[in-house]
Amino acid sequence: MNAPLLDVRGIGKRFGGVHAVRDLSFRLEQGEILALLGPNGAGKTTAFNMIAGFFRPDGGEILFRGRDIARLRPWDICKAGIARTFQLSKPFADLTVVENLMVGGFARSSDTAAIRERAEEIADFLGMGRQADTEVQHLTAFDRRKLELGRALSTRPVLLLMDEVVAGATPAEGQEMVALVRRIRDRGITILIVEHVMKVVMALSERVIVMESGRLIADGAPKDVVSRPEVLKAYFGEQYAAARA
Amino acid sequence: MDPLILSFALVNGLLIGGVYGGVALGLSLIFGVMRVVNFAHGSLLMLALYAAFWLQALAGIDPYASVVVTVPLLFAVGFLIQSVVIAPLIRRESALVVEPLSALLLTAGVYLVIDNLALMAFGPDVRSASSGLALAPLMLGPIPVNMQRLIAFLAAILAAVSLSLWLRSTRMGRAIRATAQNRDAAALSGIDVPLVYAVTFGIGAALLGLFGSLLATFIPITPQVGLSFGIRSFIVVVLGGIGSIPGSIVGGLVIGVFEALASQFVPATSAAILSLGLFVLILLVRPSGLMGRA
Amino acid sequence: MTAHPNRLHESAARLPAGRPRRAAAGGVSPAGLLALALIGLAALALPLVADSYLLHSCIVVLFFAYMATAWNFVCGYVGQLSIGHAMFAGVGGYATVLLFTGLGLSPWLGLPVGGLLAAALSVVVGYPTFRLRGPYFALTTIAFAEMIRIWVENTESVLGIPVNGAAGLTVPLAGESLAALQFNGKAPYYYLIVALLAGALAATWALERSKLGFYLKAIRGDRDAAESLGISPARYQLVALAISAFMTGIGGGFYAQFFRYVNAERLIGVDLSIDMALMSIIGGQGTVFGPLLGAVLLAPLAEITRGTLGGSFLGLHLVVYGIILMLAVLYLPKGLIAPLRAVLARLARRGGAR
Repeated sequence: MNAPLLDVRGIGKRFGGVHAVRDLSFRLEQGEILALLGPNGAGKTTAFNMIAGFFRPDGGEILFRGRDIARLRPWDICKAGIARTFQLSKPFADLTVVENLMVGGFARSSDTAAIRERAEEIADFLGMGRQADTEVQHLTAFDRRKLELGRALSTRPVLLLMDEVVAGATPAEGQEMVALVRRIRDRGITILIVEHVMKVVMALSERVIVMESGRLIADGAPKDVVSRPEVLKAYFGEQYAAARA
Repeated sequence: MDPLILSFALVNGLLIGGVYGGVALGLSLIFGVMRVVNFAHGSLLMLALYAAFWLQALAGIDPYASVVVTVPLLFAVGFLIQSVVIAPLIRRESALVVEPLSALLLTAGVYLVIDNLALMAFGPDVRSASSGLALAPLMLGPIPVNMQRLIAFLAAILAAVSLSLWLRSTRMGRAIRATAQNRDAAALSGIDVPLVYAVTFGIGAALLGLFGSLLATFIPITPQVGLSFGIRSFIVVVLGGIGSIPGSIVGGLVIGVFEALASQFVPATSAAILSLGLFVLILLVRPSGLMGRA
Repeated sequence: MTAHPNRLHESAARLPAGRPRRAAAGGVSPAGLLALALIGLAALALPLVADSYLLHSCIVVLFFAYMATAWNFVCGYVGQLSIGHAMFAGVGGYATVLLFTGLGLSPWLGLPVGGLLAAALSVVVGYPTFRLRGPYFALTTIAFAEMIRIWVENTESVLGIPVNGAAGLTVPLAGESLAALQFNGKAPYYYLIVALLAGALAATWALERSKLGFYLKAIRGDRDAAESLGISPARYQLVALAISAFMTGIGGGFYAQFFRYVNAERLIGVDLSIDMALMSIIGGQGTVFGPLLGAVLLAPLAEITRGTLGGSFLGLHLVVYGIILMLAVLYLPKGLIAPLRAVLARLARRGGAR
C-alpha cells in the first residue's frame, strides 16, 4: 500500500487548561472523502485548524505527501497543496466574484490573463457564471458559500479541507452542494470535511472518523460507525445508547 | 543622583501621573463602551481649559469655582458630538460592529474643527489662569508639594472612585455597562442605546471639564495643547487596559513617574521620545488580540 | 509539483446563455484614453499660459496629489490608516539636502537615494507595526513619526552631520543649475512634479492589476481568508509599504528642492501626514484617481485661505477639511470619486448608445 496522502500522528493542542485535542492520529488516502464527526466542543475545528496551519500543534506530526507540515504557516500550507474553507464564509466583500476567484491563482502562477480565465472557469463550474462581475456583498448567503468553495479550488489544491459543507443551507441547496463536492472529488481532489449533518455525511463520505472530548473514538464506514454505542453515547447521551443496546 | 531631587521628581511624577489618569478616564470609558477611539479627546480638554480661562478673564470667576460651569458645558458638548456626529455612523452600521477606523476618522474630523476654530478664535498666544486661593506648597518632610497639582491629583482619584460607584449602583450606570457588554442584547432588553451612548460620551467629556478647570491653574493654555494630552491619554489607556477605570489611574501613575524619572537622567525631549517609545512597545508586545474582540 | 489533475473546465457545465465576457479585461476605453491624452496635453501646456503665482499654486496642488497617491499605494489598498507617512517625506527631504551640502551629490541622485532610505525606514517601522490593526496601527504610526520629529527638532548634529534642530536646513543656492536641480523659473519644477505624479498614478494603475494589488485587497477584505489562499500578510504589506515610502521619500526631496528649505515641523509633522491621508480618503482611497481628486479639491482651499485671507484665518482650511472629512465618512465612505464614476459611467453609456 502506498503512503497515505495525509498522515496525522499524535497531534495535541491545549488552550490554557482546556485540552482541546489529545493525541489525535488518522490517515487520509488519495482520492478519499473523509468526514470528521463529533458533538460540539469535541475538538473538530481545532484539529481542522491545526492541519490548515491556523493553530500550531503542541506536539505530534502532520505528514502531507511524506513531509511534516505541522509547523508551517497557513500560506505555506496553501502552497504545499492544501486548501480550506471557513465555517462562516469569509469572502472579500468589495471584490467581484471573478476577482475573489483570482486571488488564489497567484499562488501558482503570475500570468494574470491565465488566472482570470481560470477564475471564470471556476465561476462556471460553480454555476455562478452570470454573477462573475457582481460584487460579493450583493450575493446570497448560499452563493457566498459556493464562492468560498471555489476560492479554495482556485489555489489548485491536492487536498481540500471543508469546515461544514451545508451550514445554513436549505435542503435543495444542500443537495446542490453535495453534488458539487462530489464533482470536485471526481476531478481527483482528496477531501476532508468537518460536518455534523448526518445526511450529508452519509451521502458524501466513504469513511468517517468521530471525535469526542478531543480524542478519536471511532473510524470506519459511515453506516457502521453511526450504530456504535460509543458514538451514540457521544451524540445522544448515555441513556439513549443504553436503550438501543 | 541626589536622592532628594529624585524623590522630589518621584512625588511630582505621581501627582502629574494621577492627573494623566484622570484625563484619560473619559477616553477609556468611551472606548470601553462604544469601541470609539476619540481622537478629539485632547481637543475637548483644550476647550475646557479655555472655558476656565475666559470665565476668569471676563467674569472674574476663580478657576476652581468655574467647575460648576465647565463640567455641564463639556457634558453638553460631548452629548452633542455623539448624537450629531457619531450616531449616524452607528445607525448606518447597525447590523455590524462599528468600524473602528471610521469612528477614528470621524473624531479626527472633530479634532480638526475644534482645534482650528480655537486657533482662529483665540489666536496662537499662550494664556494662563490663576486661582485667587493663595496656596503655599505643602511640605512633605523636605519635599515641597505643589498644592494645585495635589488638588488635581486628589480630584482624579475621587473622579475615578465616583465613576466606578456610579457605573455600579445607578440605573444609567448599569445600562452603560450592559451596553458595553452587548449592544444588541441591551437594546433587546429595553435599553435606549442611543441615549446611553450620548450620556457616555457626555460623561467622558464632562470629566475633561473638571480637569480643564483644575489644570488651568498650572499649565500654559494654547490651541495646540490638546493633542499632546490626547496622545498621552491613549498611552495611558493602552497601558492600563481599555475600559478599565482603575487601570486608567494606574496607567497614568506609571507614565507620570516614568516621564518624571526619565527626565532626571535624559533631556526632557528625550523623555518625551521615550514615553512614545514605551507606548509603541506596549502595543507591540501585547498580543495582537488587543483588537481581537471586534 | 507539476500538472495538477484538476482542470475544472473539462467538467464544467457551461451555461447555455453564456455571459458577457469583459471586452478587454481591465482595459481603458478609447474615450477614456482620449480624455486622458487631452488632460495630459493641457497639463503640459499650462506653463505657457499661467503666471508665476498660478503655476506655484498648481505645483503645490500636484505635490499634494503626488503625496496622497503615494500614501494610497499601501494604505488605500490594504485598508490601514497611516498617520505617520510624513516621516518618510522627512527622510527623503533631509537626505536630499544633506547629501547635496555634505557630499556634493546632485539632487537627481539624492531624490532616489532619499527614497531608498525612506523605504528602509518603512521596513523597520512596518515590520512590527503591521501586526496591529485599526486604531492601534494608526496611533503607532503617529508615535513613530512624532518620535522622529521630536528627535530632529532637538538635535543640532549627529555623527558630525548638521541636522540643525528646529531651525531646519536651507538648500544652498546654486543659481540656475540643472545639475543642482535648481531653477529660477517655476516651469521646470512643474514638469518634474507632473512627471512624478504620472509615475505614481501609473504605478497604482499597475498595482491594481498585479498580484501585489490582488493580495493587498484580499488582506483588506479578510486576513484569515487571505492567509488560507497563500498570502503572507506581513510580507506583502511590507513590500507595498516600502514602495509607498520610496515614493513619499522622493516627494520629500522634491519639497526640499522646490521650497529650498526643510524643517521637522512641516516635513515630518503630523499635519502633512493627516493631509496625505485626508486627501486620499475624501477623494476615494483604494482607487487610482481618488487621491488626485481629493488633492485637487482640498489643496487649493489651503492655498486660497493662506494667500487671500491672510494670517487671521490661519486654521480655516483645516476646519473645512474636518467638516468635509466628517461628511465623507458618514455619507460617502468610498470617497467623492464613487458618485463621479457613476456619472461618468452613465455618460459613457449614453454616448455609446448613439
